[in-house]
Amino acid sequence: MDVTPRYLGGNSFLGHRDPRVLLLVPVFYLVAVARTEDLRVMLVCAGVALAYYLAGGIPWRAARTNWIFFLSLALLTVTVNSLFTDALQIEATRQAQPLFEMPLTGNPVSAATLSYSATMLVRYIALAMVGFPIAFCVAPGDLGVAFARFRVSQRLAFGVDLTFRFVPSTAAKLTEIIDAQRVRGYTHPRTRNPVRRLISLKPVVIPLTVNSLIDAEDTSNAMDLRGFGAKHRTWMRELIFNRTDYLLLGGFAAFAAALVAYKVLGTDIVWVP
Amino acid sequence: MSKELAETRAPLWTISSRVVVFAAVGAALYAVLGVISIRIPGTQNVDIRPAFALVAFIGLRFGPIAGLFTGLVGNMIIDQIQGYGILTYWNWSVANGLTGFLCGLVGAVLLARANREVVRLVLVAVLSWIAMFLAFLSTITDMWLQGLTLEAWAATAFGATLLSNSLVMLILVPALDAIWEPISKRMGR
Repeated sequence: MDVTPRYLGGNSFLGHRDPRVLLLVPVFYLVAVARTEDLRVMLVCAGVALAYYLAGGIPWRAARTNWIFFLSLALLTVTVNSLFTDALQIEATRQAQPLFEMPLTGNPVSAATLSYSATMLVRYIALAMVGFPIAFCVAPGDLGVAFARFRVSQRLAFGVDLTFRFVPSTAAKLTEIIDAQRVRGYTHPRTRNPVRRLISLKPVVIPLTVNSLIDAEDTSNAMDLRGFGAKHRTWMRELIFNRTDYLLLGGFAAFAAALVAYKVLGTDIVWVP
Repeated sequence: MSKELAETRAPLWTISSRVVVFAAVGAALYAVLGVISIRIPGTQNVDIRPAFALVAFIGLRFGPIAGLFTGLVGNMIIDQIQGYGILTYWNWSVANGLTGFLCGLVGAVLLARANREVVRLVLVAVLSWIAMFLAFLSTITDMWLQGLTLEAWAATAFGATLLSNSLVMLILVPALDAIWEPISKRMGR
């Protein structure tokens, strides 16, 4: 699994936006689609998300693996939670006339169940489309300054910056440790026992954690020697909202307000064709 | 941790360079190792996530701010890597952060008094489990955010999380702490 942040959409419409816009839009979008049960409404929302995602100019080839991983996970989650089991316990899906029962679990499936499952899947995909630009269209170096402009503590904003710098090196270290342990005969056991699987991860988790924390001591000492935190921190990068940023944020805020009003009025129910 | 070490610690609420760096390293570790997880079928996307031990461990060892940051930011990055978006399950990220925060608080108050190694390790396991239990009660907000009934939340979200996290808290957190103790003494921190 590649966990390295990649700046793929730098030259796109979203890449030219203030990074705070890309952080705030998913908040508005989440408010808009939370608890949406009508598949038709969710499809309209997904259309908005698709337009936003395409504005990010993220090349399909580069993000294909991420999409395959995400779609497999989302499909599995929706199938297991909504079709094979009644994990969500939605009232409308229980009241509807069952069409058939799922093999193995015998969970009754109605048209309402299928409609709600599709809504869930579309919602996950739409949220991913709105969330992916944070990973691919924000320059990794801009995240710290973006959080600082949100008036988060300067030191914690720097912590966010540091986290994104540490992720690729930590991932590389993990690969090295797995390889080194394999040379020493480490194999991941093929067992379904969760306790054994947990214990088997110790030779990987513990060296990685201990090495990273020992390195962190050096980083912390180096920062102290350079006077970190002695004065109010300033950032080289200036972030200023322009008119397009305001329009985009205003559009998503209005979209969220409209959807919330629609749901509050009680017209959002599971759609059964 | 030993009494002398606890006494030389900086005040709990100081955001020093050490807290910032350990919080950032903890979040990065949690994000990378968190991808290695086992999904429990029939639950609200609940995983058995061995890396969750890091949240409690960082909280216990480096304080509540570092624990809060590790859980909150780390979980958001895992969600982002998995494609769900950093905010979709924001209340679960808050619960992760709260676990680290509570571990930091109880660790500072109670662990400093444990003189014997075995007692300390048992306390680490028990206290981190209690902190996790209290923190994940906050996911009851799923009833409003995801439209779940109380029974559905208790069975498929909270119950499942409790089960998977209990394994992690009782096995991996004391293991990490036992390994870090001599290193921390050697470094004089």
